Amino acid sequence: MNKEDQIKAINDIINETRTKLKPLSFNLIFWGIFINIMSIIHYSFPSFIQQTYYSAGIYWIFLPMIGMIYMTRWNIKKYKEIGYSTTLGRAIKIIWGVFGFGWLMITAFSLYKGINPVPDILFLLGLVIVMTGMIIKFKPLTIGGMVIFIFIFNLNQNPDQNFLIVNMIGITLGLLIPGILLNRMKTDE
Amino acid sequence: MNKELEKLLFNPVRLKILSFLFTVESASFKKLIEVSEATKGNISVQIKKLEDAGLIKVRKKFEGNYPLTLCKITSKGKTSFELFFISLKSYETNKTEK
Repeated sequence: MNKEDQIKAINDIINETRTKLKPLSFNLIFWGIFINIMSIIHYSFPSFIQQTYYSAGIYWIFLPMIGMIYMTRWNIKKYKEIGYSTTLGRAIKIIWGVFGFGWLMITAFSLYKGINPVPDILFLLGLVIVMTGMIIKFKPLTIGGMVIFIFIFNLNQNPDQNFLIVNMIGITLGLLIPGILLNRMKTDE
Repeated sequence: MNKELEKLLFNPVRLKILSFLFTVESASFKKLIEVSEATKGNISVQIKKLEDAGLIKVRKKFEGNYPLTLCKITSKGKTSFELFFISLKSYETNKTEK
């Protein structure tokens, strides 16, 4: 192997390595649909979900925890299929792991304090989405995160709005639509 | 450049393995077979040589009932690879200038 061949081999390998974004898009779509379904159920059957003081809190902690366990297992399986992880992928994993922890903490704390967790969760979600969008350089995701900030501002201005509807619209624009757009992008095929 | 390193990376399989590990966080044994297009036996030998030279770190674990071998480049490996690549590039630049 001469020096030219060595340079070619290195360049080929480096150009071939990409952070796979399809699994991230599946995560965004999954959570977009999951949270929307949860919000629809809560909105449609408020008396059932809020039958006791703690039932809504339990609903918003227990079901997302099942979702987190499912997605963690799915992500591990995907990692094994892909066979490698990049530094970028690791950064994204850490950011979303911290978000998952923050989500559970905010919900539990809000339940304890008797306040609505939606504005705080949306704020945290907006931050994480903007960060992810900027890291992977995907504008629709960054814009989606910013749209969520507008919704939070709107919630603060008009606190009498139905938080579940705001949550659904925010999640659809911030998670679901960017997730679908990312899934359709052919960057890592 | 270090003659030992040059000799070590003269082998295309070892060069491909190190180049790939330089660009990723960690990679499985299976992925390295795919990247280097080498046989299982050959790649095991080459990985051992890179590990003995301190350029990569190998971690073996079990996932369910299946063994999983993960390889990661060390800081020594990163520095060595960078030096190797710079020297290759300077060779290419000198050749073009001539």
